[in-house]
Amino acid sequence: MKSDAVYAPSDDIVARNIEGELIIVPLAAGVGDMEDELFTLNETGRAIWDELDGKKTITEIVQNLSVEYDGEEGEIEADVIGIAAELLKRRMIVAVT
Amino acid sequence: MTESHISYTPLPDLPLWERMKSKRGLISFDLEVTARCTNNCRHCYINLHADDSAARQRELSLEEIKKIAEEAVSMGALWCLITGGEPLLRDDFFDLFLSLKKMGLLVSVFTNATLITKEHVRFFKQYPPRDIEITVYGVTQQTYETITRKPGSFAAFMQGLSLLFDAGVKVKLKSMALRSNLHELNDISLFCREKTNSRFRFDPFLHARIDRHRKRNDDINAERLTPDEIVEIERSDKERFKALEKKCENLDTLNPAMPGDNHIFSCGAGQNSFSLSHNGRFRLCASLNHPDCTYDLNKGSLADAWNNFVPKVRDMRSKNRDFLSTCRICPLINLCTWCPAHAFLETGELDTPVADFCRTAHARADTCKY
Repeated sequence: MKSDAVYAPSDDIVARNIEGELIIVPLAAGVGDMEDELFTLNETGRAIWDELDGKKTITEIVQNLSVEYDGEEGEIEADVIGIAAELLKRRMIVAVT
Repeated sequence: MTESHISYTPLPDLPLWERMKSKRGLISFDLEVTARCTNNCRHCYINLHADDSAARQRELSLEEIKKIAEEAVSMGALWCLITGGEPLLRDDFFDLFLSLKKMGLLVSVFTNATLITKEHVRFFKQYPPRDIEITVYGVTQQTYETITRKPGSFAAFMQGLSLLFDAGVKVKLKSMALRSNLHELNDISLFCREKTNSRFRFDPFLHARIDRHRKRNDDINAERLTPDEIVEIERSDKERFKALEKKCENLDTLNPAMPGDNHIFSCGAGQNSFSLSHNGRFRLCASLNHPDCTYDLNKGSLADAWNNFVPKVRDMRSKNRDFLSTCRICPLINLCTWCPAHAFLETGELDTPVADFCRTAHARADTCKY
């Protein structure tokens, strides 16, 4: 994953915020790979999700979150890349060109 | 930052459910999008003729349904069921289904499968429903069409099933246990288990007509099994009987009524879900059609129905001593089909005991040696 890459939520999912919980509901086939389970993000995951807006690069997201959260920038970068990679693998986000 | 930020959670285990239940949050709703059906089943509590133009005119439009669903979603609802009648009779079924999915709802569909085409299958492959539930009335033309009273329906049903299964669309099968298919119930069970590789679900408890149509209720009564027959088929299904025995172990704790409590409702109706009738009536559950217990969403809002109307209905009280001294405090209530909604359909009153239901509940308790 390149640090200047930009990602946005896929059109094949709908992200729902219910009672403070972010739930990703598959819309089209092939998103997520488990039939009777739902993809949820905790507070940190959600903070990263909110930054994946189709405008900011990975580097910019890490910088933003480093201001907001305590922790080493390297750790935060690992979190952002980790979660973005998993979301991308599951087709929940797409690269913006 | 913490280590684990994302997880797949099995649907029944979402922590969200407990939070929603504790605050009477809206989790799910049923959309009865039509009362019309291609079949004319002997036991059906709702069906009207597929070509019934008056019934069709009463149906909510796509835009009206979408508006109500959007409001439900804004209140937190995550799951919805499209049911009928036969929902595939609606010309706008695809638009309706996709609109609900795009709102972020998990969408289930109840259908008799007789109208399933390759186009439906392609659509469901592209936009998977949470599940499609289909009732197997019989596994022979004779039995199936004795129940549906529609020549050609068995072939259409089998073709629809094949299209769905061949394409790998997620389907759940179930059956009704009726006088007309009792002789075939074992074969229906085998058919369902083979097709879906899951336990056999069947329902021997028939609802009376929601329009309280006398002739149609006679048909339903003729299809009802006796308490002994119900117990016998439940005993013959190991998984079902085990579940029944477990239920019997907890009966003493399941009726929350306190001495002197004269509330009519003690069930979960309207607690986390609602049902929308084809003509726009909000109901606490699909069976509850007493005029004092439905709210016209053509004239009001879902928020008003949910926040103001439901608590009033659930606070209704009974003065019927017969009810207060029997069903209201009966430890067998959870083995019984009795509820205010069914009591109304059977007797015209929300708080009248129903002798046939009572006999069946006692037969079920006896068989578990409760």
